[in-house]
Amino acid sequence: MSRNFNIWFLSSFLISLIVIIPILTVFSSFFDNTTNYFEILKKTFLFEYTFNSIILLISVLTLTFLIGTGSAYLVSFYEFPLSNFFKWALILSFAVPPYIYAYSLTAFFENYGTAFTILKNLFGEANYNKHIPKFDGMLGSILSLSFSLFGYVYILTRASFLYQSQNLIDLGKNLGFSNFETFYSVILPSARPAIVAGLSLVAMETLAEFGAVDFFSINTLTTGIYNSWIAFDDLAFANQLSFFLLMFIFALFFLENLSRKKAKYHFNSRGGFKQKKKLKLSKNKSFFAFLFCFIIFFLSFLFPLSQMLYWTIKFPENLTDLNVSNLFLNTLYLVILSSSILIIFSLISNYGNRVSKNKILNFLSTLSISGYAIPGVILAIAFITFIVWMDENIIQSIGFLSIKKIFIGSILGLVIVYFIRFYSLAFNGIKSGYEKINIYVDESAYLLGYSKRKTFMNIHVPFLRNSLLFVSILVSLEIIRELPIALILRPFNFETFATTAYISASEDLLEAAAVPSLFLIIIAAIFIMISSKYILRDTND
Amino acid sequence: MIKNFFEINNVTFAIGGKDKVNDVNITIEQEGDIICILGPSGIGKTTILRTIAGLEKINKGQIILKDKIISSNQIHVEPEKRNIALSFQENSLFPHYTVDKNIHLGLKKNKQSNKNIDSKEVIKILNLKDVLNKYPHQISAGESQRASLARSLISQPDLLLLDEPLSNVDQSFKEDIQVSLKQILKNNKITTIVVTHDSYEAFYLGSKCALILDNEVKQFDDPYNVYHFPNSVQVVNFLNRGILIPARVTGGDSLENEDLGIIKGKFIKHYPTGSNVQLLLQPEDLEHDDDSNLKLEVVDRKFRGTNFIYTLRTASNKLIPVAVHTHHWEQHEVNEKFGIKRPIQLEHIVCF
Repeated sequence: MSRNFNIWFLSSFLISLIVIIPILTVFSSFFDNTTNYFEILKKTFLFEYTFNSIILLISVLTLTFLIGTGSAYLVSFYEFPLSNFFKWALILSFAVPPYIYAYSLTAFFENYGTAFTILKNLFGEANYNKHIPKFDGMLGSILSLSFSLFGYVYILTRASFLYQSQNLIDLGKNLGFSNFETFYSVILPSARPAIVAGLSLVAMETLAEFGAVDFFSINTLTTGIYNSWIAFDDLAFANQLSFFLLMFIFALFFLENLSRKKAKYHFNSRGGFKQKKKLKLSKNKSFFAFLFCFIIFFLSFLFPLSQMLYWTIKFPENLTDLNVSNLFLNTLYLVILSSSILIIFSLISNYGNRVSKNKILNFLSTLSISGYAIPGVILAIAFITFIVWMDENIIQSIGFLSIKKIFIGSILGLVIVYFIRFYSLAFNGIKSGYEKINIYVDESAYLLGYSKRKTFMNIHVPFLRNSLLFVSILVSLEIIRELPIALILRPFNFETFATTAYISASEDLLEAAAVPSLFLIIIAAIFIMISSKYILRDTND
Repeated sequence: MIKNFFEINNVTFAIGGKDKVNDVNITIEQEGDIICILGPSGIGKTTILRTIAGLEKINKGQIILKDKIISSNQIHVEPEKRNIALSFQENSLFPHYTVDKNIHLGLKKNKQSNKNIDSKEVIKILNLKDVLNKYPHQISAGESQRASLARSLISQPDLLLLDEPLSNVDQSFKEDIQVSLKQILKNNKITTIVVTHDSYEAFYLGSKCALILDNEVKQFDDPYNVYHFPNSVQVVNFLNRGILIPARVTGGDSLENEDLGIIKGKFIKHYPTGSNVQLLLQPEDLEHDDDSNLKLEVVDRKFRGTNFIYTLRTASNKLIPVAVHTHHWEQHEVNEKFGIKRPIQLEHIVCF
């Protein structure tokens, strides 16, 4: 009906359209011609790229499942020393991106690295190098990704455990199940959607990971895309590899949906919910639970933090050499600009979807939020492909000046691609806030004489302010940590903490990478601490 | 001079492209009248209210309020521009405002209204005083329903629409609210349409009731007529306050049933002698008399406070309801014989 085609519909439509352009570009580029490189690669490296991606994926999924679900189970169901501290401390792992974890791992275990120094100081000079294990290559990548990403599984699984009713557990006991049987047959299956959702995020991040695998020289589909563009200047092939990777990601989604079938896992939160009581563990068990959580906290956060701190203190000249205030301002500038745009547009788009109730718009929105599943490298390259195509086929043919410089290697281009990449995060975050506002609330507002704009401004925005704050922090966190998009699209001489760390590390100057990495970890940790009360919401509000 | 205060003329009410109620004609002649819409769940009662409020559009017919078309195939006055309030069955309070602020938002809407509803009185009558400073998520479903009702009342609309207004309210409290609500509406001449599936609520509140069955308005009449003179078998079945038994017309004021014998009374509609009909028997139609030779077996006895409703089995295996005052001198248990006073004389005879 015409009433639905209003300004809100139009804005939402345009926003969704902008976001899906790179996705369409990737699909359309699949059939483009490439250089001979593709032929060479198809016969040689493509197998290696795919094989490495699969090995990495399976290993990281297994590890994050064990660490994430195990720690979530312990802190949700049991009381042990510092269990309340670990509840939020474990999410600090988000402050350490995989590439910084990789630097720490290498710095500690490399020949004459930190481990060597510790041993030398403790036991005197000796050839410790041959006894110190080396965590590099594939193993290093797996560990870096797992300890950096298990938080996704931990947060979602913990939330699901929290909302499980005590009734369900009592029912298990009533049926004569032991503690383990209750966990295995009742608790774990009903948390399955949350675990799978967490693992899906881990899978996407793993397939999209660039910094850590590049550092360890592991060739995956993502590094292949980057290299084919950087080293061989073959945009079309980069796009074709991207298409291949996208198919991989969609196949994962499909498998997950298929396996879930029509089973229902969620209970209505109203009625029948009984708060769980945490069990006090016996002395021995309590110690092991503490030890398990402490080891994970240490390895995921304290270890990389102290390694970076150690190097910063050991090589203070790196701190003075670095223009920290400049990096800080650049990072802050990007964060504020991108997150403000993301929040404003996602809010408008959400409201447009809500008031229009249009199926086309709904479909476009669903498609547009898949941007998060697409690795940053692909998005950046797809964006460049699209701009080049537009420039050559439309802009220049009608006699305008080239637009390449406006979008490529500029803050504008960088912010647009950040927008596309993190739109899903912002859109879904606000959407989950919106889901708490009953549609009758809107209708009541209209009936009280509020226009659509007034309903949006006076009813929705004030109600959503907490969600908006939370989403801004989440988006900011992602932008602070983000690497490949910034690397590809940043303006000349515009560096952030992430790009500076990467550049130093790629030049084998790990000590110099420590300072920006340390700042990045600290800023990200502060953001996480501010948002932790939203991330770890204990009530069903 | 307004012809009719409110009119629905030949409107087909639809939601999501699906017709729910066809060709509806309802008129409210005087400002301040209350009408009720009765019908089973899912029939489209709420759709009617939503459409009148402007939340849904119509493709056929027209809705007129105070001589102004507010909905038709071409015209659609936006909800915020109609002075119509709708109190939803579901929680529709603004979650970030206290109950007090929610209620008083209604005041802002119509400052120039000629009606003079005292918000304090509404709050008192609806027993909301203790929850004024609470937020919607801190109060019960019944309280939020009453708060929503208060907000709608305070907005002093031209037309008030109430969707199952007391469905979540405690039974003990319900009748008091019904009385007070009716008083406020009448005193302030607030024209109201109430949707409910509770026939007693409809009969009490409404000066007229529209019964919606099988996608159409089956009967639009005053409550007494709807109850005593239902115009179709569907209405009888929906109200579920009687049964239909076979009978043969034996004269201008009598008919005969094989189990009960001759039944006398005034026919509502003329039927030729000798025709076979279905006679409506309601619980209050038959009288208890153990001296009578017409005895039926008690198969069930329901305690309804003022009355017992006996279910009696006839010789031809029909089940007949009979109401007996609770303080009646002699009551019967299941399986006992229950006498029916003869000759049977009905106030009116309703047949189909």
